[in-house]
Amino acid sequence: MKIKRSVILAAMVAAASTSVMAQLVGVSWSNFREERWTTDEKAIKDELAKHGATYVAADAQASPEKQLADIDGLINKGAKVLMILAQDKDAIAPALAKAKAKGIPVIAYDRLFESPEVFYLSFNNKEVGRLQAQAILAAKPKGNYAMIKGASTDPNADLLRAGQQEVLDAAIKKGDIKIVGEEYTDDWKPEAAQKNMEQILTKSGGKVDAVVASNDGMAGGVVAALSSKGMKGVPVSGQDGDHAALNRVALGSQTVSVWKDSRELGKVGAQVAVALAKGEKPKGAGVFSDGEKKVALQSILLKPIPITKANLDVVIKAGWISKDAACKGVEKATGPAACK
Amino acid sequence: MASHFCLQYNRLRENTMRSIQEKFQVSALDLRLMIMSIVLVAMALAFHVATGNFLSPENLYNIAQQSAVVGIVATAIGLVIVARQIDLSVGSVLATVGVAIAYLMYSRGWHWVPASMVGLGISLAIYLYQGWLSAYLGVASFVVTLGGLVSFRGIAFLFSDGRTQPISDPTFLLIGGGLDGAIGTTASWTLGLIASLVLMVNTFQRRRSMHSHGLAPRPLLFDFMITGFFIVVILLFVGVMCSYQIQSKEEPQGIPNPVLIWAVVVAFISFIVNRTSFGRYIYAIGGNPEAANLVGIPVRWVTLKIYLLLGVMTTIAAMVAISRLNAGTASLGTGMELYAIAAAVIGGVALSGGSGSVLGTVLGALIIQFLESGLLLMEVGVGQRLVIIGQVLIVAVVFDVIYRRATGERL
Repeated sequence: MKIKRSVILAAMVAAASTSVMAQLVGVSWSNFREERWTTDEKAIKDELAKHGATYVAADAQASPEKQLADIDGLINKGAKVLMILAQDKDAIAPALAKAKAKGIPVIAYDRLFESPEVFYLSFNNKEVGRLQAQAILAAKPKGNYAMIKGASTDPNADLLRAGQQEVLDAAIKKGDIKIVGEEYTDDWKPEAAQKNMEQILTKSGGKVDAVVASNDGMAGGVVAALSSKGMKGVPVSGQDGDHAALNRVALGSQTVSVWKDSRELGKVGAQVAVALAKGEKPKGAGVFSDGEKKVALQSILLKPIPITKANLDVVIKAGWISKDAACKGVEKATGPAACK
Repeated sequence: MASHFCLQYNRLRENTMRSIQEKFQVSALDLRLMIMSIVLVAMALAFHVATGNFLSPENLYNIAQQSAVVGIVATAIGLVIVARQIDLSVGSVLATVGVAIAYLMYSRGWHWVPASMVGLGISLAIYLYQGWLSAYLGVASFVVTLGGLVSFRGIAFLFSDGRTQPISDPTFLLIGGGLDGAIGTTASWTLGLIASLVLMVNTFQRRRSMHSHGLAPRPLLFDFMITGFFIVVILLFVGVMCSYQIQSKEEPQGIPNPVLIWAVVVAFISFIVNRTSFGRYIYAIGGNPEAANLVGIPVRWVTLKIYLLLGVMTTIAAMVAISRLNAGTASLGTGMELYAIAAAVIGGVALSGGSGSVLGTVLGALIIQFLESGLLLMEVGVGQRLVIIGQVLIVAVVFDVIYRRATGERL
């Protein structure tokens, strides 16, 4: 009798865990205060719902310690897959060890941490850098370049810069391009970028022909610095598809904003999570080994899209930005086709 | 034995400082401002030798503009500190107000005047709340504004979902300087001359009033030198601003608007400090709150008013900041509270309250910006830059402590 009951109980537990628990995807966010993750979250939730999976999340509020506790919590709740946006790529190690011991697959969401069993999902950041440099190079094949880099504490800043260098290297060696100023930007802050740009302009006597800025916020600071010196038409790059930046692209004060559609990232993230939970290999997965430690990882790297005047309609059609917002203040006659 | 000598040496030094002061009848404050000016000049020369273009009109024009936002806030923060309070939330409030104004203009299509008025309203409401908590409920302002530092950054973010709000209104953009945001040469020289005249009249009046009260005025030569020094500084500044010309423009720039706004703020706060009972109350409260209370100064109300004044100045600074950046962003003014406090402290505002001057905060803000700009021109890396700026703050405070001991100024 006793035995029978426990068997039934066990069967019930097993049934419960296969029908409900198998679909539980635990997501650990590093810092949900940053705007863009809300977009990702919505995409992940929607896609998981389509596959009948459940979403549980925790927000580490920018604390690596809290993130470890969060992940413990997610494992205890019975998460079958962990999707982690790491606050600190090294401090995350204990959580990975725990997940590995329990046989739970881990997805490194958008931010790399190198451990062989991790699945890395992100945009190709080096590619972002390449696309930025390509657009600027096309607009200004010769001349003095200023490089406005991201925060020195963020590995992405150097990845971007490396991508930019790949494209510009030949022209620099040939002497067509001269880098007259290069600065890291404290915390990616637009005001800091503006100050740095003003200083570069002073140092070079105003002889800057093009600016490769690593994101849109900083591009805004750069454009403000340039326009306060009466310099118009200097090519400036950026990334993120910020609404303000897309408007600048339409107006012509920014050349390119490399757009990473985070809804796509969230959607693919959910698909990968469901596949890994079922023990399948995610579709389109390749091997990534370009990290600092050169560890080979299963990965999907989405391709970013450079948005310029010519293809501004892409972001409008995708519903990323309204036509009104993108084309604010643009004269219909002279503006880009997307604004007509 | 050694400590005995040390004591004697200290006394000796104290005596020499005091005798300098007595001989020239110069207050410890004037002497401090002069020393700071000399430090500033020395820094400028050193950076110029190291970089070759630090003293170019363009760079000085940049520095003047870059210092304005922190400078405007520092004047008001100085008063807050004098009254033994502190405000850590100012950078976050600046962002909230800035984003609110930019949001109303960009996303709601408001005219800049009503948008700025709403911004002012928000700022006053925030400081009414924080000021009430610390002045009337007696919660330590450090804690109140530490909470504010975090929450108001969040509110700045909630406005507009953290999206950058660009600004394109050409009139509003004039506030932050930029291409046309300067007043031109004629107006600059006129203002410079008026300011010099005011200084001269001021000195003359002070001499006469001392005389009529039966006090011996300072030696004429010395008064002449001090007033002359400040007049030379003002005219030099105007001269430099008027010799900076942007290539595509026909006329040199003159004084940039943010600096003009800063100067008006400084004049206004100096007036409050020196000529109104409110100003004297602030120092009385900072000197000894209990005593101030006993002589009938409405300590709480005055403290609240200081916070409201800070609210006004923060709004002005926010307008300059977003206009300068051509956008309102949620990250605006991150860490600015520390720069503003540092400017005030370097400028001689005692953290223990009761002492400090408005002009000191101006020099403090300039010293920080000189340092930042000079190090940037020298291509010192970002890490080293932070280390140096932090340590300069310490050096300034160490100097402050030694100086106060030597002159017998309030510690």
